Amino acid sequence: MSILETKDVTRDYRMGGEIVRALAGVSISVEKGEFVGILGTSGSGKSTLLNMLGGLDRPSTGEIIFNGGSLAPLSSWQMSRYRLHSVGMIFQSFNLIPTMTARQNVSLALAFAGMSQKERRAKAMDLLQRVGLSARSEHRPTELSGGEQQRVSIARALANEPEILLADEPTGNLDSGRAAELIGFLNEMRRHENKTIVMVTHDQELIRPYADRTIKLKDGRVVETAGA
Amino acid sequence: MALAWRNLSQSKLRTVLTTIGVIIGVGAIITMVSLGLGLQKNIVNNALSRLDVYTRITVIGVSADELLAANEKQSDSDDTSVDDPGDTGSAAKSLPIIDDKAIARMQEISGVKYVVPQMSFVSFTRFNNRTRRVNIGGAPTTIPDYDAFDNLLAGTKFSSDDAQEAILTEDGLNLFNTDQVSPFGPGAGPRRVGARGGRRTIFPAAKTEEERQRDASQVIGKELVLLTLKSGVQPASLVTPQSNPLNDENDLSNDPRFERHVFKIVGVKNSVGAQVINLAGNAQVFIPMKQAKHYRESTRDTMAQMTQALAGDPGYPAAEVRVIDPSQVQPVEEKLRGMGFRAFSITNAIDAIRLIFLIINGSLALIGGIALLVASFGISNTMIMSIRERTREIGIMKAIGGSDGEIMKIFFVEASFIGLSGGVFGVVGGWTIDAIANFVVNKWVIASTTSIQFFSIPWYLWGGAITFAVFVSLIAAIYPAFRAAKVDPIKALRHE
Repeated sequence: MSILETKDVTRDYRMGGEIVRALAGVSISVEKGEFVGILGTSGSGKSTLLNMLGGLDRPSTGEIIFNGGSLAPLSSWQMSRYRLHSVGMIFQSFNLIPTMTARQNVSLALAFAGMSQKERRAKAMDLLQRVGLSARSEHRPTELSGGEQQRVSIARALANEPEILLADEPTGNLDSGRAAELIGFLNEMRRHENKTIVMVTHDQELIRPYADRTIKLKDGRVVETAGA
Repeated sequence: MALAWRNLSQSKLRTVLTTIGVIIGVGAIITMVSLGLGLQKNIVNNALSRLDVYTRITVIGVSADELLAANEKQSDSDDTSVDDPGDTGSAAKSLPIIDDKAIARMQEISGVKYVVPQMSFVSFTRFNNRTRRVNIGGAPTTIPDYDAFDNLLAGTKFSSDDAQEAILTEDGLNLFNTDQVSPFGPGAGPRRVGARGGRRTIFPAAKTEEERQRDASQVIGKELVLLTLKSGVQPASLVTPQSNPLNDENDLSNDPRFERHVFKIVGVKNSVGAQVINLAGNAQVFIPMKQAKHYRESTRDTMAQMTQALAGDPGYPAAEVRVIDPSQVQPVEEKLRGMGFRAFSITNAIDAIRLIFLIINGSLALIGGIALLVASFGISNTMIMSIRERTREIGIMKAIGGSDGEIMKIFFVEASFIGLSGGVFGVVGGWTIDAIANFVVNKWVIASTTSIQFFSIPWYLWGGAITFAVFVSLIAAIYPAFRAAKVDPIKALRHE
């Protein structure tokens, strides 16, 4: 059984008076422990697809299936739990809360999971240490470099130990050195903790060393798959 | 919850301004209602501190005019028109006249300790070389439980019902020490006392306990002279144009028209702790009941005599019924009313006072509540602006797994912080204003030896105010919090 599947997913938007079809009948599946890359130019629908997988958005038609269970009948609250416990997302623009320190940003994810203050503190520090940022835990995002911010973001994504990590162009704002570091780190997660990685990128070269499979989207459709 | 605090402290100025609105609203409620409650407490406590009030029922008798009017009706009822169905035959019989027979009937009611008729009259008395017109009241001497003279400032009670003895009140004593000619004559009212100890006050300071006791004990044993006209004497004009019996002792003694009756002053009644409703018509001088009855007759004016001749005796103007303990007040009062007497006790008055204050306090609280309502709009505004600014933040929170409900909770907590802190500071502020006002009034407006508390803040006032403030702020947060929960995370994440 695949860990994540999409069955004929379509996503339409109303823009002005027109209907824009961002995804048209996309069916993919991801196995547990796979590192899958989703490629495409901007406007291809890759981010939309990732949002679906992350439970941030619902398809107009079709369904998303996680571990054999469809996300379609889930309530809004159940979807939030899915986002909290089952997936961890990292974004191109990091999406950290600027008024909070690194540690507080990570703690936030733990707070939503109902952890006590003391436990949160300990676990957040532990997570930051794993990404090598324990020394910078009390700094705010504006005081951190891009690479460091993204690492905080990863620590946050890992906080509630999700099975799946979704990354939307995570290296977009990083230099090549940091970018390579990041991908390497994600790969570590996959190898040592059997996490499933789905990464959206437009840079094929970047993920080629690591990805098991790549799926290419164009105009909302799957046009090519490569790899295993 | 820590998140909410942090969020609020981000925009301190905005939070503070919003909170000020709540503080003012709560402060207004506290200040105004505490004034109402304080006054109520003072008045009610003042009335109830006289322990005797708990056990006293006042029965009002029939006035001369009523008696005359009733007799009018009696003659009219000879014709066939039935004006008053209840008024048949002897009109006087249906009026609740308090005579000795009535007193005896009241005495028989179970639960009654004693019944004392109001027996008072106006007369001229002479003391300290001054002649004054005073109210003289008769006081019972044969009732063992009668306690009006238990707390004398100086002296003793009457020795017998027949004794030519007098007990003065402090007000009565003061009459003979000043230029006031009668209790309500010229010169009455608070006197503008000059600087007392360097403090100018609007009302003069009271004398100390020692001063009053000293002044009182000085008059014990002295003579008080009651003046009456010899019977059959036509008052006419002064004996000679030069004679001044009002002020000149010799002229008075030589004037054949007057009779002088000497009473010995044996006591001075304490004005502190005095009966609130003074049955003897606010008498300044008390003499034994038997003496009072005797002199009442001889001091009666012609109008009273005419009334009696024309319509009969209206009886005592009132009577005091004392019950054995407070639980008897209600049943005895009902029985008296059942007998047709007009009885009332202070509990009726207290109930009326309570109702009035309920209305007053309620209105004051309402006004304060309106201020709070206005503040709540401020809270709503603050929250909505805050949410607009934090749209991206809300999106992030949702993306990492925060549910709609959790987002809403965060904003509700923020709002309740404003309400709670505004409430607490409002209570503190209100209390401070009360304390300052209390101090100012006690120091500059009245001069009292003990400071009077004008304001009272019972627990239910500040507790209720704070609770109301929190409640109002939560209500104000409903719409904003819903808005926050409805934020679409994807759109929000694109937001800047």
